Amino acid sequence: MDIVKCTKVTKTYRQDTVVVRALSGASLSIQEGGFVAIAGPSGSGKTTLLNIIGGLDYADSGRVVVDGNVLTDMSQSALAHLRLHKVGFVFQAYNLIPVLSALENVEFVMLLQGVPPAERRERAKAILDDVGLGGMYDRRPAELSGGQQQRVAVARSIVSNPSIVLADEPTANLDSKTGASLLEIMQEMNEKKGVTFIFSTHDKMVMDYARRLIYLRDGRIVEDKIRNG
Amino acid sequence: MSIDLKMAWRNIWRHPRRAILTMAAIAFATVLLVFMLSWQFGSYDTMINAAVKVHTGHLQVQAAGYHEQQNMHLVVPDPVSVSRLLDDIPDVAAHTARATAFSLVSSHERTYGVAVRGIDPTKEAQVTTVGQVIRQGKYLSDDDAAQALVGGLLAKNLRVGVGDELVLLGQGRDGSIAATVVQVAGIFSYGQDELDRNVIYIPLPYFQEVYSMQGAVHEVVVLGTSLEAVPRIKRSVSAELKTIDKKNKLVVLDWMELMPGLIQSIQMDLISGFIMYLILIIVVAFSILNTFLMVIFERTREFGVFMALGTTPGRLTRLLLLESTTLTLLGTAMGIVAGSLVTWYFQVHGIVISGTSEMLQQYGLPERMYPQLSTLSIAVGAGLVLAITLAAALYPALKVRRLRPVEAMRAV
Amino acid sequence: MFFQLGWRNIWRNRRRTLVILTAVVIGVWSMIFLSSLMRGVADQFVSNGIKTLTGHIQVHHTGYREDPVVENSIKNPAGVEAVLTAVLPPEAQWAPRVRVNAVASNARHSTGITMVGIDPSREAGVSFIGEAITEGRYLKSDDPYGIVVGKALVKKFETKVGRKLVLMSQDTEGETASRAFRIVGVYRAEMQATEKQFAFVSMPAAQQMLNLSHGISEVAVLLAEHGQAMQVANTLRAELSADEYEVNTWQELLPMGSAIMKIYDWFIFIWFLVVFIAMGFGIVNTTLMAVFERVREFGLLKALGMKPWWIVKEVLIESFCLLILGMVIGNAAGFVSVLAISRTGIDLSALAAGMEYWGMSRVIYPHILGQDVMMANLVVFILGLVVSLYPAIKASRFTPVEALAHT
Ligand SMILES: Nc1ncnc2c1ncn2[C@@H]1O[C@H](COP(=O)(O)OP(=O)(O)OP(=O)(O)O)[C@@H](O)[C@H]1O
Ligand SMILES: [Mg+2]
Repeated sequence: MDIVKCTKVTKTYRQDTVVVRALSGASLSIQEGGFVAIAGPSGSGKTTLLNIIGGLDYADSGRVVVDGNVLTDMSQSALAHLRLHKVGFVFQAYNLIPVLSALENVEFVMLLQGVPPAERRERAKAILDDVGLGGMYDRRPAELSGGQQQRVAVARSIVSNPSIVLADEPTANLDSKTGASLLEIMQEMNEKKGVTFIFSTHDKMVMDYARRLIYLRDGRIVEDKIRNG
Repeated sequence: MSIDLKMAWRNIWRHPRRAILTMAAIAFATVLLVFMLSWQFGSYDTMINAAVKVHTGHLQVQAAGYHEQQNMHLVVPDPVSVSRLLDDIPDVAAHTARATAFSLVSSHERTYGVAVRGIDPTKEAQVTTVGQVIRQGKYLSDDDAAQALVGGLLAKNLRVGVGDELVLLGQGRDGSIAATVVQVAGIFSYGQDELDRNVIYIPLPYFQEVYSMQGAVHEVVVLGTSLEAVPRIKRSVSAELKTIDKKNKLVVLDWMELMPGLIQSIQMDLISGFIMYLILIIVVAFSILNTFLMVIFERTREFGVFMALGTTPGRLTRLLLLESTTLTLLGTAMGIVAGSLVTWYFQVHGIVISGTSEMLQQYGLPERMYPQLSTLSIAVGAGLVLAITLAAALYPALKVRRLRPVEAMRAV
Repeated sequence: MFFQLGWRNIWRNRRRTLVILTAVVIGVWSMIFLSSLMRGVADQFVSNGIKTLTGHIQVHHTGYREDPVVENSIKNPAGVEAVLTAVLPPEAQWAPRVRVNAVASNARHSTGITMVGIDPSREAGVSFIGEAITEGRYLKSDDPYGIVVGKALVKKFETKVGRKLVLMSQDTEGETASRAFRIVGVYRAEMQATEKQFAFVSMPAAQQMLNLSHGISEVAVLLAEHGQAMQVANTLRAELSADEYEVNTWQELLPMGSAIMKIYDWFIFIWFLVVFIAMGFGIVNTTLMAVFERVREFGLLKALGMKPWWIVKEVLIESFCLLILGMVIGNAAGFVSVLAISRTGIDLSALAAGMEYWGMSRVIYPHILGQDVMMANLVVFILGLVVSLYPAIKASRFTPVEALAHT
């Protein structure tokens, strides 16, 4: 089943007089359980595409369907609801809420979902253990390294059992070794929980982890290949 | 503690210096308001009590029209039954009857026109302070007849002292000439020129005889157990009066009707006070608005993360409001504590504003004034500050609703 | 150059600057506006007193103030009048008066009043009475039996223009003197108490009744300005023998007025301080925010070898720009709002009895005093810079290392 289906999606940004075409008719579908990389040079539209799939932004035209929801017709608050229950995000940096500890950051999403406190705590601890942060529940983001922060972000993105996790250059701020271990954790979660991961990157090494690789250039999909996996 | 509250608390202390300055500004306004309101309320009490105790009492029973015209023919004909009626009304602490006639008073050398008042020496002393302001000689006693108390300034103008004789010349109630000679028994001084220059007291029975009052008086003055009891007393007296005053010639006037200037001057003081407080709090509100606004500038990206996680704008607003409310409440609480302590100190020790005692005396007020800390002054003071500073906090909290996730995420 | 930099810097965050500017503007506005209202109240109180017969200066026979009876009158007014004509500044006005306590009565009522014998045309230049007649007419200079009384007295006495009124007082021999007058005019005054107290008759009528020949009780002088009184009084004192004459200024004659003015001096100053403190918190806080945002910038400047003092100066100049702008707008707003109500005043007739309780007028006219404007601006400016020292010094202490660590 297709968990994400984009048809002829376009997006144009206007800044003063300059018109930038960030996406010009991108179509793709991604199956449930995928581990997909979106690659392309800077400015090719990777972030824009992920934002539109995640319901953070609207497409100008075309159709976006995520887990049966047609995003292009939904209101802001419906999108917020969708993000809460169906989509997990991992950003390049500053992912976490600085005043909350690692554990609380993970708990926060479940709090929004209305999960009872005891269960919340249990699940948050379990997932932090899964990403290898067993002893660091009570550390604030400022007391964690960049790699550890990204792992908390990954933990947080999947703890709510979303349909997809969108990660926009999750390793861009990490050295290659830390980046690789983050990718391994993501891979493990993908396999263990069956959650679809879509992540963008410039990095050849990161692309190697993907089972499917989509190339963007100038807002168009120029290559889409399944890798042996 | 819920996560929301935890977040609010920790966010406040992300910038301790800023938080403390903001709370200090709020506390400052609260201290000032609590103190000033306590001061105002306290001085109103003092003013009312002083005015009531000097002359008018809390209530008076008079003939209709007497208060406006001061016409000596408008009388309470049967004060005895009025006073019997008053004896049975709860909350009445004391009452006394008085009569007043305008007369010429002459010493050997001088003549002046004054108000001659007949008072019941014992009962009058229970209602007003006249017994306590005798500076020379002595107060009247119930057996005195042709004895008088003279105001200090009047005595000076007449060039008389205790023991000297004065001739009173006026008109009796029946139109006859009222003339008599009285001896100065005592000299009083309230410090209010108006009274000290224009009033002579003589015993009421003697007054009634000289001015042919036929047992009548002009006012029956009532002192209640407290200011709050006045409306109650007024209601019962009005109701009871109907039984003895079939023709409806008598009225009951409370201190506000007897001294409309007093209550209006209190209203005026309150209004001008409130205008000043309002301006002050608005200045404070703008002073601290930047603290709340900075949140929007500094934490935009953080709000983007919140929104990506699926936080609704409504919830984000609530989070921000919780934060600003906590900050504001802390400031107000500090202000209430400090304000109460300051007020309480002055409530115990009193305040003398140098150079004002002469002036206050003219209005019958003591030179040392005491603020009166009350739940009302605390509630009104803190309430005003809270309301306006929270209104300032509302602006950024509502502004965040317009934020779109993508824009927020792009901010750094 | 520094000022340009400062000016540009405060506009780096427009909204934040506008917010704190609003606080300064409202603060300065309230200082100017409210102080002018308070001055208006105090002024009115004094002006009322001055217009209600006190004048700026009074000359009496020595002893009259202690014992205001006819015996203590000025027996030879011509001498005093000659001195007044010679000494007073040209725009000053003066009027002689006979003033005694008297009893007024008609068939039904009697009460104590002050009888004032006046020279109608001279009196009109000195006190309120010339323009206060609302019914009937004003006095003529030789009106033998005409009397002008206040509205409140007319009401109390249940009488009207044309009716008789008998005045009784003591003459120079200590005998009771009485004279029947006819009410020719009714006046209104700012306060009911005034209307009840004063009854005006012509000078010859009063002198005849009291057996005074040419004697008068007092001379009241009205000057162009309240402030001249002291100086003019001193010249008068030099010319008039101290054994025979007493010269008093309104400050001595209206002790309440001077007391109220003194209290308001304090009150206005305290109000300035309080308002300043209220905005001072905002100034410190906002400047601190601006400084902390620029930790890197200041750190860099220091790394480049800028002296700490220069950074202090830069921050202070930013505050300076902000304060000056706020003061200019605040003062302008203050003057404009004072101007807007200066014609009509603020009408407090609804609380007339309350105003009267304190002896104040029903309508308050604002009065801007140069000294208040100066004080307000000095308080804001000097204290504003003083409190800005804290963020300025803070900024000058950022080390390059700290600056780079700060994100
Ligand atoms: N809010 C915006 N306003 C104007 N232009 C925008 C905006 N967001 C993106 N763009 C432009 O749209 C194009 C696509 O941007 P996008 O961020 O999707 O690229 P990207 O592939 O993620 O690049 P990078 O690898 O650098 O992150 C770029 O040219 C960018 O400048
Ligand atoms: Mg990107």
